[in-house]
Amino acid sequence: MDKIEKIKILYIDDEVNNLHGFKASFRFDYTIFIAVNVTEALAHLEQHPDIRVILSDQRMPDKTGVQFFGDIREKYPNPVRILITGYTDIESVIDAINLGNIYRYIKKPWTDTDIKTAIDQANQYYLTTSMLAIKNEELQKAYDELDKFAYSVTHDMRGPLLSILGAIDIARGIEDVADIREILSMMDKSVQKLDNFIQSIHDYYNLNRGQMKISDVRFDDLVKDLQDIYNVTGKTNRTAFDVHVDQQENFRSDEMSLRIILNNLLSNAFKYQRKGVEDKFVKLDISVSNGKSVITVQDNGIGIDEANVNKIFNMFYRATSEEMGSGFGLYNVKDAIGKLGGEITVDTRLNDGSTFKVVIPSK
Amino acid sequence: MAPQKLNFIIIDDSKLDCFIADKIIRNSGRAGEIHAFTSAPQALEHISTAIAPPADDKTTVLLDIQMPVMNGFDFMEAFEKLPDATKAGYNVYMLSSSINENDLNRVKNYGSIKQFLNKPLTTEALGEILQSI
Repeated sequence: MDKIEKIKILYIDDEVNNLHGFKASFRFDYTIFIAVNVTEALAHLEQHPDIRVILSDQRMPDKTGVQFFGDIREKYPNPVRILITGYTDIESVIDAINLGNIYRYIKKPWTDTDIKTAIDQANQYYLTTSMLAIKNEELQKAYDELDKFAYSVTHDMRGPLLSILGAIDIARGIEDVADIREILSMMDKSVQKLDNFIQSIHDYYNLNRGQMKISDVRFDDLVKDLQDIYNVTGKTNRTAFDVHVDQQENFRSDEMSLRIILNNLLSNAFKYQRKGVEDKFVKLDISVSNGKSVITVQDNGIGIDEANVNKIFNMFYRATSEEMGSGFGLYNVKDAIGKLGGEITVDTRLNDGSTFKVVIPSK
Repeated sequence: MAPQKLNFIIIDDSKLDCFIADKIIRNSGRAGEIHAFTSAPQALEHISTAIAPPADDKTTVLLDIQMPVMNGFDFMEAFEKLPDATKAGYNVYMLSSSINENDLNRVKNYGSIKQFLNKPLTTEALGEILQSI
């Protein structure tokens, strides 16, 4: 059986005997922290933010349990608060429950079953509430991206189409074939831009909604397809493409995500070259050893301004007006690397080139 | 008397859109000097260092909204800070494929923007601008 980490419980009571009795009874079921006063209790909470349930005695010399719960509620909203008390304090308990400061109370003297039932229910409540918080956060992120997306659709998808429409209109009034050809080649770029954008949306969807398929990855095979594509690009743009793969061992990962990463980094490296430079190059180096792959994509292109480096992975961010970037590529790269549990770093200097280094552990 | 020639500045990161604007302006027969910039900072640099055009012969600026590094609104923030004498030399028209209401509302915040125009720029739309000047 898998070892399941025991949930953390904090018990605060001014009577030391109660604390030790409690610990003796439940230490096999839970990880228990005990505190003889408020100061100790706060120290535990500070050190262990993942304490799930707090039990507090009502009658203590420095503060009542109800007061204690009221005080910590704002700073530590997550742990579920349970009060232990005798019948005589029932008025203050009712108030506290109504204020939402405590989840439930256990009456003295308690039995082990009372405590276990209360803690198990409190834990369920904790899990449901925190699950809800996580889902809410995911939902908020999805909404934010949808907003950005809707805004971008008008610009990034309509933009190229409207350019083409405008160009068609102008071309109608032109007789000179050379001029028409020039317009056609510009229209070609707009169509490609739109196509790239749609391809990126497809990648984005796959990364966010698709299931990962973990299989053995042979980088030699993966790189061969890319080489076929980028050797042509390299010839056209007079950019040397140097590939080095050193795979010593088996590597398991999601091939589609790796493709998205490699394809975007290479396409950027070829795209953002300096015009009129003689010795343009793109170097791809992949080495697999010790259960991880290290992928380096290096170019001597236009580089990225230091001031903008931390923004390049943001959705729809474009660091340059050179070339027709979609502002989507590196966002997808980072997303894919995140899914594979890897990391990406950039070493770049304006007008000097960029080196992207990706480290991905084998699954 | 022949209609007065007008000078233009086009700011758009898309070369095709610069080309379209350039052609349409030339076709109007009113084109004086035309400067096209594919990056807004370069255009700003040009405007802030050049001698400001006289107020009775303003340069018409066609400004795209969605551009990398410095977008149309960033450009306007910087433009509004230029000396009044410089600003008085330019009529700024904002161009966009945007059908986003936020963008349309934001345009109203900048006193220097004469009007919002939809992309692509057409001979008719330019004709209306030229008439209003």
